[in-house]
Amino acid sequence: MKRSLALTLFSLAIALYCLLPFLWFVLTSLKSPAELTSIPPNLVPSLHWGFYRSALFERGLLRYIGNSLIVAGAATLISVGVGSMAAYAISRFQLPWTKFYLLALLAISMFPQIAIAGPVWSILNHLDWLNTYHGLVTAYIALALPLAIWILTTFFREVPVEIEEAALIDGCSRLQVLRKVVLPLAAPGILTAALLVFIQIWNEFFFALIILTDPDVQTLPVGIALFPGEYTMPWGEIAAASTLATLPLIFLTLFFQRGIVRGLSAGAVKG
Amino acid sequence: MSRIFMRDLFCIFAILVCLLPRLAGAQATLLRIVISNTDTPQLWEGAIADFEKQNLGVKVIKEIAPNSSTQFHDLLTQKLKNRDTRLDVFFMDVIWPSEFASAGWTLPLDRFFSTTEQGKFLEAPIAANRYRGEIFGVPLFIDAGLLYYRKDLLEKYRMAPPRHWPELVEQAKAILATERDPHLIGYSGQFKQYEGLVCNMMEFILGNGGALWDEQRLVSAVQQERAKQAVRFVRDHIIGEISSRGVLAYEEPESVALFAQGRAIFHRNWPYAWRVANDPEQSRVVGKVGMMPLPAFPGGKGASTLGGWQIGISRFSKIPEVAWRFVAFMTSHQMQKRIAFATGRAPTRKALYDDPELLAKIPWLESLLDTFKQAVPRPTTPVYVPLSNIMQRYFSAALVLPDSKIDQRAALAARDMDRVLDLLRETAAR
Amino acid sequence: MKSSHRLAFLFIVPSLVFVCVFTLYPIVESFRLSFYRMILTLPWLGQKMVGGENYVDLWTDPVAWQALQTTIIFVAVTVPSELLLGLGMALVMNEAFRGRGVLRAVVLIPWAIPTVVSSQMWRFIFNDRYGLFNFVLFGGDTARYFAPLANPRWAMIAIMAAEIWKTAPFAALIILAGLQTISDEVYEAASIDGASAWQKFRHITLPLLWPALLLALLFRTIDALRVFDLVFVMTQGGPADATNVLQFYGYKKTFAEGMIGYGSTIAVTVFMISLVLALAYLRALKSERLQGAAAR
Repeated sequence: MKRSLALTLFSLAIALYCLLPFLWFVLTSLKSPAELTSIPPNLVPSLHWGFYRSALFERGLLRYIGNSLIVAGAATLISVGVGSMAAYAISRFQLPWTKFYLLALLAISMFPQIAIAGPVWSILNHLDWLNTYHGLVTAYIALALPLAIWILTTFFREVPVEIEEAALIDGCSRLQVLRKVVLPLAAPGILTAALLVFIQIWNEFFFALIILTDPDVQTLPVGIALFPGEYTMPWGEIAAASTLATLPLIFLTLFFQRGIVRGLSAGAVKG
Repeated sequence: MSRIFMRDLFCIFAILVCLLPRLAGAQATLLRIVISNTDTPQLWEGAIADFEKQNLGVKVIKEIAPNSSTQFHDLLTQKLKNRDTRLDVFFMDVIWPSEFASAGWTLPLDRFFSTTEQGKFLEAPIAANRYRGEIFGVPLFIDAGLLYYRKDLLEKYRMAPPRHWPELVEQAKAILATERDPHLIGYSGQFKQYEGLVCNMMEFILGNGGALWDEQRLVSAVQQERAKQAVRFVRDHIIGEISSRGVLAYEEPESVALFAQGRAIFHRNWPYAWRVANDPEQSRVVGKVGMMPLPAFPGGKGASTLGGWQIGISRFSKIPEVAWRFVAFMTSHQMQKRIAFATGRAPTRKALYDDPELLAKIPWLESLLDTFKQAVPRPTTPVYVPLSNIMQRYFSAALVLPDSKIDQRAALAARDMDRVLDLLRETAAR
Repeated sequence: MKSSHRLAFLFIVPSLVFVCVFTLYPIVESFRLSFYRMILTLPWLGQKMVGGENYVDLWTDPVAWQALQTTIIFVAVTVPSELLLGLGMALVMNEAFRGRGVLRAVVLIPWAIPTVVSSQMWRFIFNDRYGLFNFVLFGGDTARYFAPLANPRWAMIAIMAAEIWKTAPFAALIILAGLQTISDEVYEAASIDGASAWQKFRHITLPLLWPALLLALLFRTIDALRVFDLVFVMTQGGPADATNVLQFYGYKKTFAEGMIGYGSTIAVTVFMISLVLALAYLRALKSERLQGAAAR
């Protein structure tokens, strides 16, 4: 009895810690303009939907969310796909240079991203890929690959080689083995990698800022950066936009949380 | 026979179909502009539509940048330093023209923008757009620092608006002591470590007869006694006696919100604050606010920092003539009037300050003319941003740290500024 | 054998192409630029190759040293705090109880929120007039409200709190994964032997958890060294440079001041520091695993 009470208390404390700042922002989005800057702040908002209306219809929030979904979705799919291939090769073919590749990827991912933003922009400019979905997606794939490959390699290593060899002996080609045997077993890991990559790309700001200047393709972080006026800070709209922006991620995490934890426990540590 | 005929016909048709878009497209010139995200998008859409109507065959493609000056700057720099030809026209903050001109990113506009025409604009913004004898931008609207005050409180205590900063401090102290309102502070300004800090401090320093730099000799002037005195005054009397520590984290939005909520006696801000303070939806002090030029120190002259935005043309644009037509359109008499009507931003054409229609709508504009005429630009040099960062660091440390040794810090700042200015000298030697 | 080599290479090539073009080339370019003096607004100075001069300038730059100190304080405070908090959260989430799934999802929220959003949120919370922070501390007593972001020490605390809030969940997840690999039998055997909860924690949990902790430590340290978005939105490096972390200083030099050479030097320096720390961690990780393997 005592144990479950302690557990409940701790759980509530943790939940409060994680949610409180965000809940405060959500409450803010529902306040009226006068309540917003009242001193001291009042806790209970009148349900004022004006900020949501303004964020959605006057600021084009849906468009920003849509763009982010397209960019993050495409980049995640391709990174995980390309990364899986590389991870499979690294984990199965124990060649000396594959290990070096893995370490090199880690080193590359450590370089400050701000510093490489400039050269990446010039490359995209030369290819005429600025202000396009595929331009930003390509840059994001490159940024996400190290993380993806590291996680995926760890999981692929957990899939026993014997099962594969048995399938190979039975006459399957390498590709068939990959598709029918390895992938299903590594599914939790792939899911984990996909979610981590998706969140990383969804949150990315600086690259998107300098690469996307066309309002039609701007992603969510850039969109929210456009909310402040020259001398005004529309807290209400920003809070509303932020709430709406976070909802897809919340759903994603709720949906996949079990798979993620299973995935992380199956592989990450032993790797 | 007919089959071959059909095939030829098909080939001709195919070629035509391929060429047609090219032919049609060749007539539409694409003009690419980068502007900031304004509060009145309808105004800009309307203006662009009008321009396109008057210039058939030109299609304006608009790119939006954040209002944050630094973020806008980052974005533009990326395009310009890579000589992006898909950029024709862009807005510039008042501190960028010399930087962009020196970097070779903006087109000199002298062949389009004659000196006679320049004479129709206010002098201060025009000076900010000039670099080494050429002009690189056309001023769109102008801002300058102003002092706002609570008319009702001053009247209650039978005080006339202060003529000097020490007088302002005394008035604020007296009012605070008698009002005994724990939520009231004497002065609200922008003292966060950002560009606005330099704007605020420059007004104090210049008002004391000091300067930020010596333009002729290309050396720093913040280590001189008058400049240091001003900084000491702000630390000890403005922040120390009549303001709250909170202002050390304020940019414009927070500082004006405080004033509009009736919690500050004096307030320094750009002209837009007048509308905020008199907007019933945001302000509790509607009708109780006065506006005046910034005071000076005894023996000095009140100084106001120049702000505002200009339009420039990229040096790498392939259609400079079309770009100029757009710039001329946006800065024309009618357009500036329209912008002023819709947004309340102060125009840069002198004639508009005599325009009865405009003055009827924005009556306070007339009283601002003197301030605008005497507004002082921040150092117009290509290395302004490094200098500003050094000064921001110095001012913020001087004001924030409890026992800041201003003499030492000023000397260090001056040394760093001189090193940056030496770079300019290096070029002169070539 | 040869065919498998070729297959391996084929599988790796796509990722290699992406990485080489879009990350390796920019990194090499940054390295190269760090040896040049290049100031965008003074193009006539040209791109002069100055060798190690930028590095010498960095070594003698007091602002850079203060930025380094700020960054080190940031890393030294946030990373252990995240790990401790994460450990606590993971221990709770490891227990089987109803609603565990929901708690896990809730725990991910801080980390899932875009940094530009959460930075604005924290800026609002730390506002000196209508912010939640002051309200929680002082209630309705508004006269005592203060501005954390205007005070050097409090500004640091503010951004560190924002960072810890966001990343403790990430650490919790990795540690939770580690906890779940420890089989129950080990604990049961210890219980039979009469071990207390604390003894179980110290002698079973901690040693077996060590690799997970080190992994979390590694990733978090590398990320903390490069913190940028948070400072960019919340404080812009102020007040009085109190939150001017090294990477923000590098950003100002590169993008705001146009001093590309020097900015690249700062980026390379941050990279080198991360590299050294990563190597140290990996060595610790390897020796731990060897010890663990030897023990078993």
